[in-house]
Formats: sequence, C-alpha cells, structure tokens
Amino acid sequence: MQWPNAIRYRLRALLAKKRFDLRLDEELLTHYEMLVEQNIGRGATAEEARRLARLELGGSQQIKESAREQRGFPILDSIALDVRYGARMLCKSPGFTFVAILTLALGIGANTAMFTMLNGLLLRTIPVRDPGNLVELLHHYPGEPEPGFNGFSLDAYRIMRDGNHVFSDLFIGSTMNFVPVRAEKLQPQTLFVGGVGGTFFQSLGVGSAAGRLIGPDDVHVGYHAAVAVIGWSFWKSRFNLDSEIIGKQIVVGDDPLTIIGVTQRGFYGLSDEAPQDIWFPVSLGPGWGASLLARLKPGVSIEQARAEMSGLFQEAVNQPDVGPFIRQMQLRIEPAGNGVTTPLTQMLSTPLKILMATVGLLLLLACANLAGLMLARGVSRGNEMAVRACLGAARARLLRQTLTESLMLSLAGCAVGVFFSYFAARALVRVFASGRFIVGAPVRFEVLTTPDAHVLLFTAAIALLTGLVCGAAPALRAFRTIPSSSLQQASRIGESRVQRLFARGLVVSQVAVSLVLLSVGGLFVGYLSNLRSMDTGFRRDRLLLVTLDTDKSGYDIAQFSQRFSALSQQLGGVPGVRSATLSDVTPMQGPGASGFAAPEGHPDLQKEVSINYVAPKYFETYGTPLLAGREFSEADRGGLPVAIINQAAARECFGSQNPIGQHITLSHVTLQKGETGFEVVGVVGDAKYNELEQAAPSTVYRDVFQGTFLPDQLSVRTETEPLAVAGQVRSVIASALSPVSIVRVETMNEQIDSAIVPQRLVAALSGWFGALGALLAAMGLYGLLAYTVSRRTHEIGIRMALGASRSDVMRWVLRDALRMVAAGLLIGAPLAFWGNRLAGGLIQGIPSARSLPVIFGALAMLAIALLASYLPARRAMRVDPCGALRWE
Amino acid sequence: MITAPKAEVLQGTLDLLVLKTLETLGPQHGFGIARRIQQVSSDALQLNQGTLYPALVRLEQQGWIRSKWGVSDNNRRARYYSLTKAGQKQLAREKESWERMASIITRMLAGAERA
Repeated sequence: MQWPNAIRYRLRALLAKKRFDLRLDEELLTHYEMLVEQNIGRGATAEEARRLARLELGGSQQIKESAREQRGFPILDSIALDVRYGARMLCKSPGFTFVAILTLALGIGANTAMFTMLNGLLLRTIPVRDPGNLVELLHHYPGEPEPGFNGFSLDAYRIMRDGNHVFSDLFIGSTMNFVPVRAEKLQPQTLFVGGVGGTFFQSLGVGSAAGRLIGPDDVHVGYHAAVAVIGWSFWKSRFNLDSEIIGKQIVVGDDPLTIIGVTQRGFYGLSDEAPQDIWFPVSLGPGWGASLLARLKPGVSIEQARAEMSGLFQEAVNQPDVGPFIRQMQLRIEPAGNGVTTPLTQMLSTPLKILMATVGLLLLLACANLAGLMLARGVSRGNEMAVRACLGAARARLLRQTLTESLMLSLAGCAVGVFFSYFAARALVRVFASGRFIVGAPVRFEVLTTPDAHVLLFTAAIALLTGLVCGAAPALRAFRTIPSSSLQQASRIGESRVQRLFARGLVVSQVAVSLVLLSVGGLFVGYLSNLRSMDTGFRRDRLLLVTLDTDKSGYDIAQFSQRFSALSQQLGGVPGVRSATLSDVTPMQGPGASGFAAPEGHPDLQKEVSINYVAPKYFETYGTPLLAGREFSEADRGGLPVAIINQAAARECFGSQNPIGQHITLSHVTLQKGETGFEVVGVVGDAKYNELEQAAPSTVYRDVFQGTFLPDQLSVRTETEPLAVAGQVRSVIASALSPVSIVRVETMNEQIDSAIVPQRLVAALSGWFGALGALLAAMGLYGLLAYTVSRRTHEIGIRMALGASRSDVMRWVLRDALRMVAAGLLIGAPLAFWGNRLAGGLIQGIPSARSLPVIFGALAMLAIALLASYLPARRAMRVDPCGALRWE
Repeated sequence: MITAPKAEVLQGTLDLLVLKTLETLGPQHGFGIARRIQQVSSDALQLNQGTLYPALVRLEQQGWIRSKWGVSDNNRRARYYSLTKAGQKQLAREKESWERMASIITRMLAGAERA
C-alpha cells in the first residue's frame, strides 16, 4: 500500500527538483536561525551563538546532498550523470568516437541487412493457419539440383490423395504467372497472379478481409475463370480500400474477371519474392502442372510422410501410359511454412548463409577492434579513474561509468547501423531483382526488407552484447584500480603482464579473423572470375541480343521468314554488324524447350535433350564451331524436317558413327505427344545452356522456319562494342519488321551477368568484407603499436641512452608487430583452409586450388601490417632519449 | 528503492525517534523535533541536527509523515511535519520489533551470565 504513494512522491520530487531544493534551503535557514536564538537565549554572544549553531546543524552541503540522495529516483540521477559524463568524454576525443561508432555501425549494419534478407527469404513464416505442419511435394529427376520441382499430374494427385495416411489434407496449390492487369481508373501493370484450385484458401486457412474467397463451387472442369480474389495490399494501394470493391471488374491477361473478395492482410501467396496480388480459379488439365501442398496429421513427422508417400508416388509413376523418363522421378517433401521452394530460394539459400557467417565474423572483428581501442583509452584514463577512486567512488560506480560509455557507443553504432542496413537491404534486393529469374518483375521491397520483430530483437541483442563485451575490458581494468599505485603507475610504464597479453591477443585474433575473411573473399572472387572467363562454347563478346514482341504481329512463319531475310540484308549494311540470326531462346536466357531424342528405330535409347529453334547462321553468329555438315539454310523451309545436334548428343545417340545423314526422333517432354523424325544435317560443338556451372547438355537444334511459332530472340554479332550499334539496329528492325516491337536490348555479357547474380553478389560482398576486415585488423595493429610506443617512450629512451641505434629501435617495433601478425596468421591459416573447404563443399564449381586464396591473404596481411607499423616505428625512432628520461 | 544507507542502525533508530516525537508532540518543525530528541535522550545522542533532514525526506517518501508550511511561535515561516495514519501504524510496528529485539538480547546476556 506504500508503493503507490512512495512512487508518486518520488516522481514529484524528480520533476520539481528546484522547488524541493529551495524548500530545503529555507528549512535549513529557519532551523539555523532558531538554533542561534536558542543559543543566545542560553547566554552566548551573537558570534558564539552563530558558531555553535553551525556546529550543531552540520555542513549544509552534506545535508542537502544527503537529502537529495533520498529523494526521487537516485539511480536515475546517477545514471543521468553517467550518461552526461560519458557524452562529454566521448566528445572530447572525437576521433576515437567517430572510428568506434563507424566500426560498430559497419559490423551491426551488415549483420542486420543480411539477417533481414535471410529472414525475409528463408525464415519468415507465411501468414496461414498452422504453418508448422504445412509441407510441399516436389518431384526430382536424378542429376537435377535438389530438391526439385513442384508439378504433378492429376492422376498422381488422386492416387496420393486417396491412398495416404499421413496427411490430413492434400490440396492443389497455386500457379505462378506474370501477366498484365488492367482495370478502370487503374494504370495497367504487370503483376504476379495465381490460378488456384477450389480448396486452396480453405486448406491454407487464409481469411478474407472483405467478400468471400474462392471455394470448391467456383472451380469446374473446363470452366473458364470469371471471378477473382485480390490481395489486401493491392486493395489498399490501387483501390484505396474502396468498400465497393466487390463486384468490380479487372482484366487479368485477356480475361475479364469479377472481384468477389479480398484476402486477409499480409497474405501474398506462398513465396515472398514473387508476391501475388490476384488469384482466380483454374481447373487443371492433363500434364504434370499441379503444384501440391499438404498438411501433416498431428503426430506425424516429415520423415514418416516421406517414407509412405514415396511408395505411393512410385505407384503413380509406374502407370502403364507413363514414359520411361518420368518413371525415374522421385518424390521429395519439404516443409513449406516459410514459403515454397522457388528458384530464388534455391539459388540464394546457400550464398545467404555463407554471407551471414562472413558478416558474423566481421562483427567479431569489429568488436575485437573496439575492445582494443577502448582498452587503450581506458589505460590512458587510468589517472582519471585513480583520482575518482581516491575521491571516494565505489568500484561498482567506476564499472558502471565505463559500461555506460561503451553501451552509449554501441547504441549509437546500432542506430547508425540500422539506418545503413535499411538502405543496404534495399540495394541488395535491387541487385537480386536484376537477376534473370525475376527480370522486369516488380520486386516488392517491403515484403523482403520489412524488419520485423525478429530482426529488431536480433539487432538489439548484438548491440547490447557488443556494448557489454567491449566495455568489459576497460571496466575490468577500472575494477582492479588501486588508487595510490595507479597514480604512480599511470605516469610510467604502467601495465600488468596480463593486460599487455590481452591487448596483443586482441590484435592476434583480429589478424586471424581477417585472414579467414580475406581468403573466403579471395575464393569467391576467383570463382567469379572463373565463371566470367570460362569457355561457354560460343563467343560471348560483341554479341547483341534483342528480344522482340512477336505476339500480336499478325505474321505467320512464312511471312516472317521473308521479313527476316530482308532484315538480314539491311543489317548487313549497318557498319559494325557481321551477322544476325534468330532463335527461340538465347543460351543464358533461362530454361527453354526440352524433350527426348533417340536414334530412329531405337526408342529404348531415349535421352533427355535440350531443344532450341534457330535460324540459319545461328552458329556462325554465336561462334560455335561447326564440326560436321552444315547450318540450316533457306532451302530447308518447306522441306523435310532437319536437325542439327551437338557433340554430346551425337555421342549419346550414335556413338562414334558419323551422325550426318542419320535420323533421330524427338518426343515431347511429357512423352504424351507423338514422335517426329528428323534428318541430322550438322554437328556443332557443345555450348553451355541455361546454367554456367553445369556441363553443356545434349542439345538438338531445329530449324525455326520449319516450325509454326515465331522466334523472338534476335542475336547480332558485331565487330565493335555491341551497344554502339544498338541504335542503328533498332531503327532497322523498326522499319523491316514492323509491327513487331522491341522489348529489350542487352549484350550477351550482360545476360550472363544477370544469370549469375547470386555468385556476383557473394563475390562482391565477401571481397568487400575481406578488405574491410583487413582494414580493421590493420587499424587495430596500428593502434596497439602507436599506444605501446607512446607508453614505452621511457624505456626507449633508456635503450637509446644505453647505446641502441635508431634502426635498432625501429627493428624492435617491427619485430613486435611481425610477431603478432605471425601468430595471427598461424592461428588463422588452418581456420581459413577449413572455411574454404566448407565453402567449396557448399557450392559446386569452386576451383580446387583453394590454398591460393589463403596464401594470397597471408601475403596481403603481411603487407598491410608492415604499412600499419610504419608510423609507430618512425615515431619510436624519433624519440629523444634525454626528453624521454626526463619524463619521470 | 532507497540507496544503501550510511549508518544502518542509526538510521533506523532515528526514524523511530522522529515518529515517536511527532506522535507525542503533534505537528512539529525540524528544529522542534531535533530539540525534543536531544532533550529526551539527555543529550546522549549527539548527532548533527542536520542529519534529521534526510531522514524526514525518507519518512515522507514512505508516506509515514506529511509536511506543510506553517507559522512558528516566533512568527517564522517553517515547515511542519505530522504523523499520518500509516505512520502511526509503522510506529507501533517498530516499537514492537524494538521491544522484541531488546528482550531477546537481554535474555541472551542474562543466560550467558548464568552459564
């Protein structure tokens, strides 16, 4: 019952300090005067009375201070004092403060940015009911990267749904399409949309914010969608939460749809990096296109599910009408609470984890650096601490003071770091967005970069930890301050063995960590340059790629081939253009068509091949060597079906026989459409396709003018810089091929770059982190050496007086530095090797010369260390022995 | 909440004395309380009268006494302290615990002598 009153009183005292002080002053004065009166009444003289009164009352300052200590929240007062004092101290050494805050900001900011991305892409659960038991099913072909692709036939779906005992629900997920969307009063935009089955929203447990969601009644076989559900943020950003939204019309692709409802806030579908805004009902046809999701029954583990479902899946793929290739498929089940597996998550999960580890090491380095800085500073303030101890400060108070300072530094560093990390995360997302898989898609930053509670908690935790860890070193020192001896010590050599060892230990550890960072960085930079310079099977320089929009051109294939002939001629007239060709896809654009090829008459020898549709002069334009036979020509149009195969395909189908003149059959990838026979007219060299890191696949090239669809990739071999002729190429295309328009123009090198964005990112970031780490370690070394020299001026003076030459002194300093660096390298080298081996195991294609980056890193560290020791060594050399000795 | 007191025993005693004084004398100003304590203890307790004031602050913060401005005998403006209900209860509690402590110690000392 006392507490509320007490707290109220204390709060009042806190807020009305002056008033209380004045009151006490007046009270003391009154008391004094009464005492004087009393003394006079007892017979003392005025002088005596006053003196006695003063004695009886006691020192007024002490009384006031004592009273103040009782009042208010004394803890707050002294903390406020600590903060003010700390701020003053930090402002007095702006250089130290700036470096300290910057170091921390870099370490903390980098960590937060990485963690935000990691959280957004991999860790955050999607807002559905019970994300913990949500799983997705995937099929996996042997040889493909894990885990595989989520696409199943309806038959497989039914077999698995009806025969399983591990799932409480097995339902069809949503497709992912990127289509133009129009509505009245709305800017046309291209958005991610999804086609869903009737039980999608119910099974996920997604609620509606308005209207109703798509249900089983909305989906019929052969039914053409007429309704749609939109996402909450789409409703907010484009319709301003219009309450009349139900019943409005939007046009998705070519279909007008009526909006029947809005999903709950925060739901974007099942993958954060391709957030969907609109869903419409679809019923799926034959083929392996249904994506499947399931909920585990309570008590069933994912392993049990995998065991049972693999068997069921085998049953599904061993149906009589299924082709031999599909029979090789295996089932995979992965947890889907954090979103479904997409090419982006597959590609990024390992690089992000590596970067997270790197960035963690960087923070460690920053902390060690800061601890060293604060240690040196703490020792130089030893005098001040000693005086304060003499004046009566308790040890705990001194400890609190230094911890307050270091916490202030780390909080400031944290604030700046979070600020940096916001922009860093957005920049990272922008870089990812330039990658191939979501080119042109509106990457929604807020989904991927909104720091949520996890991230903020994480940041606060590391900030606090950093503050405490870095503050512990000088604080412990303050703790052991013994007043009288420290006053003496402060002016002399002044450190215990332990302290010196600790400071050197910090530098050694920084060198070791920096070596690890440098070698990891070197590894990835080397890997990237490998990727950039590897033989792709075609000449990648000086190749201009133009993507055309042939959809609504109105041409048929024959007309188009005539237009193309005209175009080729005109392009030939453009200075700087050597040749031009058309194709369905360009090598690094992404996955194109694929199918199964077999030598005619031997259907059992079917092998999976990639298929590209190309025009004449394709191989000449690309610089892929023609090993036998010929390219396609105009004569092939309207003639017998012909094909050109690459070396790998030739070997697989015909062994060492000459394939020219032989026939192959090509089947559709689902093995459900019929086979066609082709005569092989040429053999070309192997060329990379779709993935730089994988070997060139067996490829079959068909003549695009023998087909029925229009190719939309125009490739131009130039003699000069490709972009220099881009303008002229554009105008030629505009005149010769109108109304076909140009969607995009880029060079082959740019396209390759966009295909290896994660690798570029990892290389760039780890390279920068390595450099940063080296800089920090160098700063740490410099700091310690400079400090040591300044503290041991006395000792240097003695040595010089005893006959040491200046170069002896310099060698002494350098030896000191090199000893620490050598120790750091010795400790760091095995860690660096281990780290590189780990990284090599996680990413395929890392060059096996992994010791090279470590050696390179060690040499770089040595060079940097020598540079860092230069100034302190020079200062040591310049010590004047007489002046140094006089210091005592 | 309260910072570590400088002289534990003295502080506790002082609190008790102040409360008791206010109970006996009714509302008093600081000088009056100090004078009374000195009188009652026959000047045995030679404390600086100033140490009274931190104690008064503490007691007021606990809610056992309250204060307000008043006029003294000599027409001086002085701050008068008085006991609250809670203070009365606290006084009773403290008196009881003192007496209990005193009797325990007396008994122990008596027992020691006998042994």
